[in-house]
Amino acid sequence: MPRSRRARHPARPRLTTRGIALLVLGGVLFGVALWYDLRDILLLAAVGLAMPIAALGYLAVRPPALTVHRTFEPPVVGAGHSASVRLRVRNRSRRAFDGAHWRDLASTALRTPAEAIMPAIGRAEGVLRSGDDEVGLEYRLRTPRRGVFEVGPLRVSVTDPFGLARIARVAGGARELVVTPRITALEPAVGLVASVDGTVHALQRRTHPNSDELIAREYRYGDPLRRVHWAATARRGELMVRDEEQRGDPELRILLDTTLGGRLHHPGAGSARDGADPLDPAFEFGVEVAASLGVHLLARGFRVRVDPIDDPGGVVEPITPEAGGYRAAGGDVALLEDLARLDPPRRDPVRGTAPPVRSVAPTAARRDARMPAIAVIVDPSDAAAETLVALRTSVEPAIAFAAETVSRELVERLEDADWRVLRLRRAADLPAAWQDAWRSARESVRSGGRRGA
Amino acid sequence: MPERFPLSRPQSLALSGASLLLILVATTALGPLIAGSGWWWAGAVVAVAVIGGGAALRAVRTPPSLVPPLELVAMLLALTLLFGGSTSIALVIPTFDTFAVFGELAQGAQRTIEQQSVPAIPVPALVFAITVGVGLIAALLDLLVQTVRVPALAAIPVIVPVLVPGLFIEEGAEAPAIVLTAAVYLLLLRVDVRVRRASELLQEDDRADAPIVSAPHRAPLVSTMGASLGLAAVGLVAASVIAAATPSVSTSFLIGTGGPGTLFARGVSPYVDLGRDLRRPDPVPAFSYVSPDGVRPYFTLLTVERLEGQVWSGTDRAVDGDHTLGSIPTPDGLAADVPAEAKRIAVQVDQVRTAWLPLPYPSTEVDGVDGSWFWDQGTLNVRSVDATTLGQDYRLVHLDIRPEVGQLRAAPPPAPGAVADDTRSLPDDLPPIIPETAAEVTASAATRYDAAVAIQRYLRSSAFEYSESAPVVDGYDGAGFDAIAAFLEQGKGYCVHFASTMAVLAREVGIPSRISIGYTSGTPGDGRVDGEVVIEVDSHDLHAWPELYFEGVGWVPFEPTPGRGSVPDYSRPNAGQDTQGVIPTGPAATPGATGRPDGDPDARLGPGAGARTVAAQWLQVGLIGFGVALILLLPAGVRGAVRAGRRAAVRAGERPAEAAWRELVATAIDLGLPVDGRRTVRTLAADLASRPAFRPADVGDDVGDARVDGAGARASLERLRDAVERERYGRVRGAPASGGDGRAAHVAEHERRSAMQADLGAASDALRADAPPVRRAAAVLLPASLRPSMRSVLGRSAPPGA
Repeated sequence: MPRSRRARHPARPRLTTRGIALLVLGGVLFGVALWYDLRDILLLAAVGLAMPIAALGYLAVRPPALTVHRTFEPPVVGAGHSASVRLRVRNRSRRAFDGAHWRDLASTALRTPAEAIMPAIGRAEGVLRSGDDEVGLEYRLRTPRRGVFEVGPLRVSVTDPFGLARIARVAGGARELVVTPRITALEPAVGLVASVDGTVHALQRRTHPNSDELIAREYRYGDPLRRVHWAATARRGELMVRDEEQRGDPELRILLDTTLGGRLHHPGAGSARDGADPLDPAFEFGVEVAASLGVHLLARGFRVRVDPIDDPGGVVEPITPEAGGYRAAGGDVALLEDLARLDPPRRDPVRGTAPPVRSVAPTAARRDARMPAIAVIVDPSDAAAETLVALRTSVEPAIAFAAETVSRELVERLEDADWRVLRLRRAADLPAAWQDAWRSARESVRSGGRRGA
Repeated sequence: MPERFPLSRPQSLALSGASLLLILVATTALGPLIAGSGWWWAGAVVAVAVIGGGAALRAVRTPPSLVPPLELVAMLLALTLLFGGSTSIALVIPTFDTFAVFGELAQGAQRTIEQQSVPAIPVPALVFAITVGVGLIAALLDLLVQTVRVPALAAIPVIVPVLVPGLFIEEGAEAPAIVLTAAVYLLLLRVDVRVRRASELLQEDDRADAPIVSAPHRAPLVSTMGASLGLAAVGLVAASVIAAATPSVSTSFLIGTGGPGTLFARGVSPYVDLGRDLRRPDPVPAFSYVSPDGVRPYFTLLTVERLEGQVWSGTDRAVDGDHTLGSIPTPDGLAADVPAEAKRIAVQVDQVRTAWLPLPYPSTEVDGVDGSWFWDQGTLNVRSVDATTLGQDYRLVHLDIRPEVGQLRAAPPPAPGAVADDTRSLPDDLPPIIPETAAEVTASAATRYDAAVAIQRYLRSSAFEYSESAPVVDGYDGAGFDAIAAFLEQGKGYCVHFASTMAVLAREVGIPSRISIGYTSGTPGDGRVDGEVVIEVDSHDLHAWPELYFEGVGWVPFEPTPGRGSVPDYSRPNAGQDTQGVIPTGPAATPGATGRPDGDPDARLGPGAGARTVAAQWLQVGLIGFGVALILLLPAGVRGAVRAGRRAAVRAGERPAEAAWRELVATAIDLGLPVDGRRTVRTLAADLASRPAFRPADVGDDVGDARVDGAGARASLERLRDAVERERYGRVRGAPASGGDGRAAHVAEHERRSAMQADLGAASDALRADAPPVRRAAAVLLPASLRPSMRSVLGRSAPPGA
């Protein structure tokens, strides 16, 4: 995704139509005056010639001194929504600033409003500010797509008082606007907690050996008896249980198809378009699904790791900048921002022909150490599919959301490897698929993690 | 360029004001061309009519496409006001006769532009031409500035009045006028920029995504003005420097001087050109000469022999290629016994640019001229086919002929073939005054010579007055027999008239004559060449004089023009006797160092003509004032008519109370009271009754007798109110029940209506008494109650914010 079009106009004044007209008029008159030796007209012609030139000089030697303060409201905005961009333009010059139009420059993906007039700003005020040296500009910026866009700098085109010349300068700098992926809300009741209880429990016990010291809470209906905290029960005289699940740290991996490696083998397939438009609907769909799942799971208390399929270890290009994944409080924002920054796969054949095929050795993790994994596959390469198959033994449950573009052979290959593959046609299908996935996952957990076994 | 947003009324008005100022200032550039300032005011009236009319039309939201044609209509009305005179209806509405007047004025304008020189006398035709021009420029300017919205191109029409002076006088328009015009043009640009920005800033953007701009509370007006002024000053100063630093290339080598120095350039009408050159305010140096032998002759450019038609011109004979300067013959008719001395003269031509070489008649040798020059049979004019006089430097030998009176007296009638026939012939249809005058003047002359002297004496007598402007004013400038007749009647003219009259009168008595056009002998200047005084000749020395042919002597110049040149000795047979008083002066007595007769055209206008013009001007001003007053009183008149109509309705209408009530409400609105027409009669009446005037008089009212009795007015108001309510909501009044009661009912009805009228009067008076005097005046002059009806007439609702 191209970051932004940094339209740095050369700060060179140009004549407006009016200025050119006056210049031409002056030139013609000058010729006439010289030819017929009309000294009086010569003076008038000289005015026609001199005024545009003087206007050019005026603009060249009087650069505006403006400070631009830019804020976004909200600071992070979802795709398909809009952010309001607020600009406070302050005149730092001792002269008033007049005769300007403004337009906020931004990445081509965003549409800033057309050039509009900027009211005159008074001279800079030192103490006792009355605010006359400041202009507030505010506009609504629609953000149709995920990504990180630079908004700014502010382009200020100044004309001279007579409208003969014009200069476009930029004021202030650019600021990044993070547009997070579109999120499909999932049914809050459907969660992993209960269903992967056992796994999480084992995990917790392993990672927190001193869980006995955890604070007890009163018994609630449904708590397993084995969790009764007898010491506390004795002390309090009522049934107490160890309150360890609430502080538990269930972890989950989301494996996202970021390279769409399958396209390399059949480039005509999919909705591959030219690089001119970086928007890749299939890829965006994958990111949206991953974001929806990630946010949902973070809200359910999971620690979420997001890794690319081709590189589940996150060695080459980790999506997650920090090791250990995202955690609940604030993690969703970080997740969304990272997903917002995710670049669509490059269509660079040189790089693409040699994908790092890394055979992942099947790690025989302990059953209770297995964590859940959700793969979001859009159009993976065969190597990526093999990676998933290899990964299967270390994850439980293993759910794959496959876009329409995934070939049937691949789906079958994954299903053979005991991945639960759900087809998604559009983002709206996700809640139902999610519900479906977890019902089966719960069953599989209850049935001992082995389907049909 | 950003799109254009509709202008509000003040913005449109600001543009109109700047346009008007621009055209008014640009028109002043014509100042050097035309005497006085009346013409400017006439142009200003038309400009105000056009641009003001346009502004008014826009204020009432006339469709933009209709404004320019309607502006032309406004211009027509203004022209009718200024020039239509008695042919118009109500001073401004033109009739067919008005157009006939305009046609005459247009023709007259063409004539006067051909004939007049600078500064021109603002005869009505000329003023008409100027006002039409100003009106058209104003309309075009307004079209460019307001309709098309390209004020930068306003320079194109505005440059016309600035360009015009340069065509007539060398200096062109005056620098202050030009600089001022440029400054006002910049002002117009600035106003446009501001207006454009303001309209853009204020326009309502109803798109959802429209940016919200919160401007500072106070717009920095003054501080931005500094930048505008500074930039304008820099531009104007730079322009002045450029203009001053640009060398003048054309006078030296390109094409020669343009208008100013050209003399008889097209050869169309030397007379008119001559008059124009004479009326030039500042003399242009023509040439200078040095005469070691001390002669100061007249210099002839060309000689007119054929007197026929309206335009007398020099010989149009083809140049004879054999007549080179080396073979100049001796003059016609010169006998050996006439004293003639050859005198040497060196001439250096300065700025005169013509195809005729200035030479004294007769010259026998000319050398040193560049180009091909050929002499003309008879007249000995020397002209060129490929060069001009500009910058020529030549020497000549002049034959100084000094005939004696006796020789002239003894001259026999000229032999048939001695001179060209053209110099004798006269047309058959001469105006009768010419032969009559000739017979009268020469009645006592014994010889041809005496007749010539008598004619000269007659023309130099007090019956004739030298005036360069009178012929222009009275329309007989130029040559022609009609002009001579007019000159003989009016007695005013300049050398052209004197010379041609003498020539014609001389032919009438049988003396061959011709008219020479050239320069008088000039005035000694400061410079010296080889110890000899350089004599300067300038454009004010242009002259025309008659030459008469006497057998044995040849062509002899005479000087009939009073105050110009010098009278030759031979034409004063009785020098020192009675003629001395009649022949006024020689050159020594001519006023002014330039030898120019006191020829200030303004002074020459004379008291009579001036008084007439002044009276006419006052009449015009009075008419304009009357028209303005009429327009100002128009609303009052309409209101009065409405009031009269309602009163009539009260007297005899179907619903008298309704009419009375409406009149009362209208009066209240006129007085600026907050009256809401949607409220009921009762609340309105209660509102009105709460005014102080309706309070009973005893409530601390010291001047109760001077005011309407409050209680009485209140009672009137209430009666009126009840009547309206009864009429609106009560039972419909049927016809009188019984025939017998008809008369009584009629009387009762009549009484009821008069009572209602009285009540209306009392209540209205109370309202008026209540209002301050300003309000009362406004109620009469600008009745607010007319506003809604005006809107309905114009068919559009009030603009937002109005």
